[in-house]
Parts: sequence; C-alpha cells; structure tokens
Amino acid sequence: MASILIVEDEAAINELVKRNLQLVGHQCTSVFDGKAAVSEMQHRSYDLMILDIMLPELDGFEVIKQSEKTPTIFLTAKNSLPDRIKGFSMGADDYLTKPFEMLELLARVEAVLRRTQKTASCFEAGNVKIDFSNHQVFHNGQLVECTPKEYELLEVLVNNRNIALSRERLLELVWGYDFEGDTRTVDVHIQKLRKKLGWEDRIKTVYKLGYRLEVDR
Amino acid sequence: MKQKTFLTTLALFLFFFNLGIFIVSVVMFRDMVNRAEDRSLGEHYFIASALIKDFQAVESRGTDIDGFLSSLLQPYSYLSRDNKAGLAFYKNNQLVYSNKNATVLQSNSLKPPGNGNRLVTIRKVDDRTYAIVSGKLPAPYDSYTLVYLYDITEAINSWSHLKNILFFAGLVLSVVLTFGLLLVLNRIFKPLKQITRISKDIANGAYGTRLPVSGHDELTEMSQSFNHMAEEIQRQMTELKDAADKKQQFVDNFAHELRTPLTAIYGYAEYLQKAVLSEDDKLSALNYIMSESRRLQTVAFQLLELANLQNNQITCEELKVSNLFETVRQTLYGKHAGKDVQIEFSSEIETIRGDYCLMESMLINLIDNAIKACGDGGHIIVSASKEAGKKTISVQDNGKGMTPEVLSQITEPFYRGEKSRNHGDGGAGLGLALCKQIASIHNAELCFSSRPGEGTTAKITFTTP
Repeated sequence: MASILIVEDEAAINELVKRNLQLVGHQCTSVFDGKAAVSEMQHRSYDLMILDIMLPELDGFEVIKQSEKTPTIFLTAKNSLPDRIKGFSMGADDYLTKPFEMLELLARVEAVLRRTQKTASCFEAGNVKIDFSNHQVFHNGQLVECTPKEYELLEVLVNNRNIALSRERLLELVWGYDFEGDTRTVDVHIQKLRKKLGWEDRIKTVYKLGYRLEVDR
Repeated sequence: MKQKTFLTTLALFLFFFNLGIFIVSVVMFRDMVNRAEDRSLGEHYFIASALIKDFQAVESRGTDIDGFLSSLLQPYSYLSRDNKAGLAFYKNNQLVYSNKNATVLQSNSLKPPGNGNRLVTIRKVDDRTYAIVSGKLPAPYDSYTLVYLYDITEAINSWSHLKNILFFAGLVLSVVLTFGLLLVLNRIFKPLKQITRISKDIANGAYGTRLPVSGHDELTEMSQSFNHMAEEIQRQMTELKDAADKKQQFVDNFAHELRTPLTAIYGYAEYLQKAVLSEDDKLSALNYIMSESRRLQTVAFQLLELANLQNNQITCEELKVSNLFETVRQTLYGKHAGKDVQIEFSSEIETIRGDYCLMESMLINLIDNAIKACGDGGHIIVSASKEAGKKTISVQDNGKGMTPEVLSQITEPFYRGEKSRNHGDGGAGLGLALCKQIASIHNAELCFSSRPGEGTTAKITFTTP
C-alpha cells in the first residue's frame, strides 16, 4: 500500500484524513506545518502528499515547489478559481476543497495513485487473491469465474474496504447513474460474491446502511 | 473648435485687410483725380486770362480776333511739352481751333454752364483718360469757349499698377498669415489635445497618468487642477480597492472559519457511520465533533456580537474600576487555573464610564491574548491610571511580542499572528476585532505597542472624562 504524507495544520482534519486513509490500508504520516513537510520529504520519499494551502511557516504553494515531484493532492478551503488554477499550474495532481466526502477523497487518492502507478497490482485477504492487472480472482489458488459486474463490485469493495457503502452508492459506482434496476440487484451480487469467495464473514451487512468489506488493518 | 477658430480668424482678417487695401486705393485714386483736376483748372485759368490780354491787344490794333485765333492760341499748345495737354477753342459752339484729336472734343457735354463757371469732367476716350475743363471766356468775349484737356492715362495706369501691387502683396501676406495662424493655433490647442489623450488614458484605467505642467498661463492652471483631479481619483480608487481587498480577505477568512469545523464535523460523523471502530476511536471522533461544534458556536456568537456592536448604542454608566477588576480576576482564575502566569491588577482611578459587560469582555479578551503570548512564567500587569488628563487602562505582558507588520493587522477580523490558522490556542481570530469595536463605541482608542521578544502593551485611552 502507498505511503502518504498528510500536511494539514488543523489537528482534527489531519487526524480525520489519516484515519480514512488508514482504513483502506495506506501508511500515513502527519505533519502540521510546511517546514516539517519539506524536511519529512527529505528524509524519505512518499507516494503521495495531501497538502493544505494555508499553512504555518511555509504555505502549500511553497511546499509543492520544494517537493520534487511527489504526487500531490491539494486539500484546502480555498475554492476560488484562481487558487485552483494556481494549484494545478504548480503541479498538483488533484484539487479537493473542504468540506470533502470520505469516498471522494479515497477515490481521488486511488486515481492519483493509479496514474502514478503506485497501486498494488494485487490484493490478498485470507485465502482470496485478486490480480488487478489481469482482472482475475483466485480462491484457494483456484481461479474463480466472475461476471464483469461481480468483478467491478469486488473492486469497489476492495478499494473502499473497511468503509460501509450504501446500496445506492454501490449501484452508482458499479452500475452507473442511469441504471434503472433497484437496490436488490446489489444484494443479489453481494450474495454471489460471498458464496464464490467464501466471504460470508468478510462482507458484512451494515444495519440500515449497506455493505462493508472488513479486512485486517 | 480649432477649425472654427481658424476659419473665423482667417475670414475676419482677410475681410478687413482687403477692405483696407480697397479703401487705400480708392483714396489714392480720388487724390490723383483731384490733383489732375486742380492742375487742369489752373492751366485753364492761366490760358484764359492770357488769351484775354492777347485779344485786347489785338482789338486795340483794330483787327478782328477771329482771323488770328490760330496764331494766338498756338503758343499755348506748347505749354505741355510732353504732349499731354490739349487745347480747343469754340466760338458759339463751333470748333475754331484744336491741337488735339478732334474726336475727344466732339461732345455736347463739353458745353459749359452759362454763368461763368467752369465744367470739369473726366472722360475716357479710345483707352485714354482725360481731365477736361471747359469754360467761357469772360465778357465781352463770352461767345468763346476754351476747352483744356489733360491726359491722365499714365497717372491712372500708375495708380492701377500700385493697386495691383497692393493686392498682390495682400495675397502673399494672407497666405503667410494662414500658415502662421495654423502654427499658432496648433501651439495653443496642443495642451487641449494632450488633455483629451490623457483623460482617455485615465478613463481606460491608467490612473497614474499626469499632464506635464509648465509655464504660468490659464492652461497651466487647468493642467494643475486636472492633475489634482487625477490624483484624487487615483487615491479614491486605491481606497476602494483596499476596502474591497479587506472585504475579500474577511469573506475568505470567514469561509475558512466556517468550513474547517464543518469539514471536521461532517468527516467524523461519516467516519463513525461507515467505519469499523474501537470504543476509543469512537470516543475521540465524538470529541472532535463536539469541540468543532463549539468552535462554530464561538464564531457565530462573536460575529453576532460584532454585528450588534456595530448597530447598537450602548448605555454608559459610572463603573467602579475595583469591581471591574475583581470580576475579571475571578473569570480568569477559573479559565487559566492550570497555567503558571502571574496577573497583577493596580488602579489609580476610582471610576470609569462605560458598559460593564462590554468592558469586562474587552479586558478578558486582552488578558487572554496576553496569557497566550506569555506561556509559563509570564507576568501580566493590568493597570488603570490617568495619562495626560485622560483615563487609560493598559494590559502589559512580557511575552513573545509581535513584529510591526503583524501589529498593524491584529485588529482585522479573523486575523492571526501566524499565517497558520492553527487552533491549538483556540479562538477564531475575532477577539481583538471585538475589542477594537468595543473601544470605539466607548469613544476610546485601543492601541498596541510591541517588540518581538520583549512583550506587548495594549492601551485603552478614554476620550470621555
């Protein structure tokens, strides 16, 4: 999993981002000002940096200048167009404004990591192994036959593991906005996945919400 | 405008100039004619009187005059050697002698009036102009008429030549004047053109443009007042821009102040809802939600207070300084019990005019800031005294102090000493903005003096006694 540097002076938000990213298995380091961020990057390299703009000591734009091509997502309250344009023109890979949603942050992190090819090509949990590059799923070393929708659903669950996803959100993410079927479609596919992978315990039904893939952190 | 002035001036000049030339030539003409007539009259008179003597001499010899007329008149024909003059002699309207071209003389108009006066006329015959004087000889020779001709063609020719020269010179002068006028007008209108150009520039946003000022005439004065106007416009534009910037800054800060706690609250709520959490995680998430909500509440409360202060009048009353200080001390005691900061109160004045709650809130804010600046081992002196006849309250600390740059902005809403918006030390950055507002509605002045590393003094000076 990726190692991510979180640069944010608000302790509450720093902690929140950290916890969210840890849920899906990333390793996070928190720093609270620009100078610390720069020196942290000199110590070791990171796959991604989540960067605020209004920071003590050095602001976000200064930090990204000195970051030497660490992929960066700006996470800031500054949502004006000039700020965004400045952010992108200084080499940001993405720009997210507060308040943000957890799933959006995770999706954007995932997207940037995919672009910079830092995503794992493999995922393993228990006796299940998923090969993302070949779109193949193995159970006890045996190839499991999956329909395209089942595979996509599995991918979404893995990317957002340890996070509960509502049936509506799953429909949206896997089937798309214009899908007209009802949420029972999701239930049916989840049942099939549980059966095929022996994940009756891992894919939990969350009361009144949806499903969650629980994996040890 | 320029064209109009040019055309009008030129037309006026040409009219009067040519009128002048015309009058001069007319006067010259009249003068010349008069001179010719006078001369002709003189000659005529001379010849007539000489002739009468001759006639008398001839008659005294008993001879008839008519037979000798030619020989009598002959000598006078030579009076004018240049052949300009001519003589004709009539008897009872019959030409009896002439030494000139007869055609000139065959005219009834030459007939003089009978009363002995002489007739003077100017006549043009065959391209030549003559002054003609005809008159009867006095009695007893009044049947004779003497006509004297004087050729003034050359005089007229020379007048006409002179007149042509005058008009030609006038033409040349007019052309010279036209160009001169154009040049002068261009010079005069140059500043106007400049003003047009520069006012266009200013209208297009180049507020720094100025007219060059030189000389001491009306246009200079106008340039100066124009420049003054431009300066005023520039100043006001700068002020507006500053105000707009400040407002933008306020809105940015406000948005940030709202967004940050909202982000945290929403984020932790979502986290609680969707993630698998231990009891500890749940508790800390809940703590974050609560503290961030409180922060939002503080911002809302302080903003409301700020808005209220801007709109409302306060009721001032005499407050006992010792009571005020006691209340503040008690409030602070509860708040900063854990911190190792010494606070000293001293008062030299009895009372002060103001709103109790607001004064208390202002003092607590100021002392709060002082405590934050000090950290452990701080020493804060709060004193009320009279300086230069004015009541003052000052809060002095020995904390970390501020740079002048920071000092100038600390009373802006949402401003923070550090560029950071770290809320480790609490508050939304509205405290000093509130203090300033409270001071101003008390007609008091709030000022700060500070040196980095040495501490800060906040001083409230009351203008009301």
